[in-house]
Amino acid sequence: MLRRSPLLLAVLVSYPLLIALLLALVAGYANAKPRVAFVDDDNLPETVEIGGRTFHIERTIHRVSDDVVLVPLDRDEAEQQLRNGKVVAIVRVPAGFIAQLKAMQRSPQVELETTRGLLASRVTQQMQALVYSLNRELQDAFIDANLEYVDLILHGGQGTFLGRRFDVLGLERAENRVRDPEVREFIEVAQLALDQTDDALEATANPIELKINPAGGRTWALSAQVQAHALALVTTFLAAVLAAAALAAERDERVIQRLARGLASLGEVLGSKVALAALVAGLLGLGVAVAFGVAVEVAGVEGGEPWSRVPVLFPALLLAGGVAGALGALVATLARDARSATLVAVLVVLPVVFIGIVPREAAPAAGWVSDALPFAHEVRLFDALLYETSPWRTALVEAAWLVAIGVVLVAGARALMRRLTA
Amino acid sequence: MIHARGVSRRYGAHVALHETDFDLDGGELVALVGPNGAGKSTLLSMLAGALEPSTGSVERRVATGWAPQRPSLYTRLTPSENVELFARLAGTRAAGLDLPDRPAADLSVGQRQRLNLALAFLGEPRALLLDEPTAALDDDRRSELWQRVAGLCADGGAVVFATQLQEETKRADRVVHLHAGHVE
Repeated sequence: MLRRSPLLLAVLVSYPLLIALLLALVAGYANAKPRVAFVDDDNLPETVEIGGRTFHIERTIHRVSDDVVLVPLDRDEAEQQLRNGKVVAIVRVPAGFIAQLKAMQRSPQVELETTRGLLASRVTQQMQALVYSLNRELQDAFIDANLEYVDLILHGGQGTFLGRRFDVLGLERAENRVRDPEVREFIEVAQLALDQTDDALEATANPIELKINPAGGRTWALSAQVQAHALALVTTFLAAVLAAAALAAERDERVIQRLARGLASLGEVLGSKVALAALVAGLLGLGVAVAFGVAVEVAGVEGGEPWSRVPVLFPALLLAGGVAGALGALVATLARDARSATLVAVLVVLPVVFIGIVPREAAPAAGWVSDALPFAHEVRLFDALLYETSPWRTALVEAAWLVAIGVVLVAGARALMRRLTA
Repeated sequence: MIHARGVSRRYGAHVALHETDFDLDGGELVALVGPNGAGKSTLLSMLAGALEPSTGSVERRVATGWAPQRPSLYTRLTPSENVELFARLAGTRAAGLDLPDRPAADLSVGQRQRLNLALAFLGEPRALLLDEPTAALDDDRRSELWQRVAGLCADGGAVVFATQLQEETKRADRVVHLHAGHVE
């Protein structure tokens, strides 16, 4: 049988390879860099001089970017994206950070706020490692600076402390001038310096403190991406398989021939299957969205479920279901019977979904192919409608993509509908 | 009532029916006979408008009922649901049916054939195209069917039926022989 059908043989060989390739790309995505919001409340300069050493802020940020994707955001946007699960953490540099660091009086804090998931713990570890290595570099600078103070106390000279400049006599010269007013001033400064010794030494030991705030935001399992993907998955699979099975079953039962005798045009038959798939996908998708919402409320997830957006989701689910239904109908026109149509629909939808999950950074070509297929557009549409502050532009663009893809699929299925009456 | 000109049907390289002319006039009862694969069902399907001819055209001037050889119905629906659905699509009234109220898939072959014929008679057509209509019917149902057919022809309607049974051809006013896709 395989010898008689080289096409089937080619599909049997290439399909597992395609799925394996897509799985590898998707698995690679699991190791992709997590998105971390970077909130700079201190307007960090490009470079900063501490203890006579120059530190490059830009380079430091790049070093972090090797492990995570740092997304510069303002505070409100970062908080919102953390609630939605679009970023797994927020790193915040508070106002006055550099001034505190330069003053060396007490450790300035970098604040880290994370979600609860696996990626968040990875980010926490990476930030702790970063702060540790930064502290190592700063320790050297601070020790040099402290040694300068010690040298100043011993030998005298000009120095700066807490922003004030001092002419320091030094212990060597003070030895001979105990009653001298300058000596009294030196003693005063020495006392002041000694008063600060504890904090200064603490700062030297731990120049930057990483303050990890209690977990906020969504768990990964309830994040915006997961909800959008779940909705797209349900609508695509269900609508495509349903439309394929319904249309192919009508051919198996030879009902299409009876319908085609003037009871219903082939276009109407096709339209009814697409409409059925859209309606069922819409209702089931709505059920999934409500189930997610209930789970979010029960779990007390910060930010809650955007209930006001759920009704807006329904037309998008109908559109997505209709497009997937058109894909299923196209499959049905090519398959020989209902069973093979259902199987082929599943086999077609699987790579459509996988290729939609592969991030563009992992494989740009997958992104281009994905643009011509409905799944990735459905994900972006649902994500925008549920969680973006201003969703309409994205929603319109993605809906336009889906309409265009749907028109092509319906046109293809309509052109092949005659096969069903043969 | 029905006029076909130069109709043929090709499936890839295989020609199921070569170019054929066929006319059906009021009051006629026509039998299509021939061995398996002669092209009887193909011709009837094209006359019914259920199958697009590869060449030629078919003109139907009256409402036409069609009962294919393999029943064409929704097997998950009951007989009454099938009749109601097709009646609604045809814009006509559904007639009552003496068949069990269970999915068509669960009916016997004979019961399914009765449903198939009931769908052909929906809307009181003036022309009927019946593909081996008595197959699987018991004697009572056969005579019932022939009575209806005779009544339609007497009333100015027309019927074409395909059959393998020599005795059934005796009922016909005209017998058309088909062989290997050709009308003889």
